[in-house]
Amino acid sequence: MQQFVNTLINGASLGSIYSLMALAMILVWRSTRVVNFAQAGQAVLSTYVGLEIHRITHSYPLTLIIAIIFGALFGALVDLLLVRPLMHRVGDGPIAAVAPVIVTLGLLSAIQGFVGLIWGGEYRSFPAALSQNGFKVGLTRIPFSPFDLFILFTTLLVMLAFAYIFQRSGLGLAMRAAAFEPEVARLAGVRVARVRTIGWAFAGGAGALAGALITPTTLLAPNSLDLLLVFGFTAAVLGGLESLVGGVVGGFLLGIGLALVVTYLGSSFTFITAFVVLIAVLLLRPRGLIGQRSVRNA
Amino acid sequence: MRERFALNWLRIPSGMRRALLLVLVGWGLLLISDRISEFRVYQGASVATYFVAIVSIVLLTGYSGQVSLGHGALLAIGGYSAALVMQNLHWPFWIAFFAAVFVAALVGALLGVAAARLSGPYLAGTTLAFAVGLPSLANQFSFLGGEQGLPFDIGVAPSRFGENFSPYKWLFWISALFALFAVWLAANLLRGRYGRIWRAVRSDETAAALSGVNVARSKVLAFTVSAGFAGLAGALLCATVSLVTPGGFPLSLSFAILTGAVIGGVRSLVGAVIGAFTLVILPMVADAIAQGASDAVSTNLPAVLTGVLLIATIVISPGGIAESLSHLGRKIALRRQKRI
Repeated sequence: MQQFVNTLINGASLGSIYSLMALAMILVWRSTRVVNFAQAGQAVLSTYVGLEIHRITHSYPLTLIIAIIFGALFGALVDLLLVRPLMHRVGDGPIAAVAPVIVTLGLLSAIQGFVGLIWGGEYRSFPAALSQNGFKVGLTRIPFSPFDLFILFTTLLVMLAFAYIFQRSGLGLAMRAAAFEPEVARLAGVRVARVRTIGWAFAGGAGALAGALITPTTLLAPNSLDLLLVFGFTAAVLGGLESLVGGVVGGFLLGIGLALVVTYLGSSFTFITAFVVLIAVLLLRPRGLIGQRSVRNA
Repeated sequence: MRERFALNWLRIPSGMRRALLLVLVGWGLLLISDRISEFRVYQGASVATYFVAIVSIVLLTGYSGQVSLGHGALLAIGGYSAALVMQNLHWPFWIAFFAAVFVAALVGALLGVAAARLSGPYLAGTTLAFAVGLPSLANQFSFLGGEQGLPFDIGVAPSRFGENFSPYKWLFWISALFALFAVWLAANLLRGRYGRIWRAVRSDETAAALSGVNVARSKVLAFTVSAGFAGLAGALLCATVSLVTPGGFPLSLSFAILTGAVIGGVRSLVGAVIGAFTLVILPMVADAIAQGASDAVSTNLPAVLTGVLLIATIVISPGGIAESLSHLGRKIALRRQKRI
C-alpha cells in the first residue's frame, strides 16, 4: 500500500512535467497548426543557459527565472524569424503539408548540434531547487523528495496562471479567438500574428520550465530531452492535442501510468507502454480521452 | 524532344531500356572503383547506402505523401535482422540482406496499418517516438547483444577476384549492386500502376477514392515497400561497419536521411542521388571548416549544417535541387525554342 501511494505521488510529480511539455506543444499547435518538434531543442538550449547563469550567480531562483525568460524569448524568435515567413512562402508549395514539420525538425537538429558545439556532448548535472533525498516518515525514507514537492507546486502554479490568462484576461480571449477562427478574429480586431507569437513565447517558457525541472534527475546533454519530447507529445495526444486542460490531464495520466509500470513491471517497459498508449489512443480515440466532439483532419 | 533521342534508343521497350542503363551505370562504377583511392571507395559504399535509404523516403513522402521521422528505426530493424540471420543460421550474406528487407517490410506493414489512419503531425510524432524508443529495446533482450551489439561481417571477396581486391572494394561492389537493384525496382514501381495510384492519392484522396482507388491499402503498401528499402539500407549500413549496435541508429540518422531526401528533391530518384552525395560530403565540409577546432565542434558541426540546410531548402526551394535543376532545364529549352 505504502509502495502504491509512493508510486502515485512520484508519478504525479513526473506527470506534471510531462503536462508542461504537453502544454507547450498544444499552445503552438492551436495557434499555428504546427507540432513543434524543436520544443525539445529549445528547452535544452534554455537549460544550458540556466546552467551558465547558475555557474555565475549560484542562485537557483535567478537560474530558473532567466531560463524561462530565455525560453520564452527564443520561442517568440522562432515564430518571428522562421515560422511566420515560412507560412507565407510555403502556402501551397509542392510539399506544403509536411514542410512545417520538417522545418521544426531541422531546427531541432540545428539547435542540438549548436548546443553540442558550445558545451560538448558529455552529461552534466543541473541544480535542483531543494533536496532530492526523500522525506522521512518515521524511520523509513520515502522516495518523495522536497524537490518533487517543488515540481508539483511550481507546475500547478503555472497551470493556474495559464488558466487565469486564458479564461479571464483580454489577451487570453484574443488567443482563444485566434486559435478558434483566425479569419473572424482578425475581422474582430485581434492582431492574429502578434497573438500567435505570444503563444509561441508562452510555449517556449513552459518548455524551458519543463526542461529545468526534469534535468536534475535525467542529467543534461544535447539530446537528453528527446524522451521528454516524446512523452510530452504522447500526453498532448492523450488530451486530444487541442485542449489545454486535456494536455494537463494527459500528462498526469501518463506520468502516473508510467510510474505504475516502472514499479510493478520494471523500467524496461516504460517506453513500450508509452508507445502502445500513443498508438492505441490515435487509433481508437483520435480526439483524445477527453477531447471535444469534432476533430480537425489537419 | 524525347522522341528524337536516338530514335527512342532504337525502339527498345522502356523497361528494358532502364535495365540497360543501369547495367551501363554499374559498369561505369566498377571501372571508377579501380581508379580511385581506398577511402573514396569506402565513401562510395556510404553513398550507395544513403541512396537506398533516401529512395525509401522518396517512395513514402514524395509519392505517397506520408511523413516518417523515424526511418532510422526501420534501418535498425533491417540491420539486426540481417545480423541475426547470419549469426544464428550461418546463411550467406546476401540471403541476410533479403531477410533484412523482408522483416523490415513486415514491421513496416504493421506500422503502415496504423499510419494509414493518421495524418500529418500525428504520423510524424508517432514515427518520431518509434525512432527514439526502438534502439533502447536492444538493451533489454540478451539475444540482441546489448550495447555491444552484434557482429555483421560480409567477409572478403572470393579469391577468384584476384589477390589485391580489397575488402573496401568488395563492400562497394555489393552496396552498388544492391543500390542499382533498388533503383531499378523503385523506377519500375513508380512508373507503373502503383506509382500512379500513389500520386493520385497524394494529390487528392477523395478524388482518388472516387476513381476506385483503395486509399488505405495504397498507403499501407507504400509504407511496406518503403520499409523494405529502409531495411536493405540498414543492412548495408551495418555491413560498412561490420557491426550492429543500438548506438548506430540515433535520431540524427533519421534526420540525416530525411534531410538528404528533402535537399535532393523528395519526388525524384535523381534527387535521391544528389541527396546521398550531399550526406557523404557534408561531414567532409564540416571537417574542413572545423579544422583545428576542438572535438566538440567537429562532431557537432554536421548536425548544425544538416539542420540549417534542411530549413534553407524548405524555405528557398521546397522541391529540392532536382526540381530546381529541371526548372532551369525547362527555362533553357524554352529560350532556345524562342530563338529558333
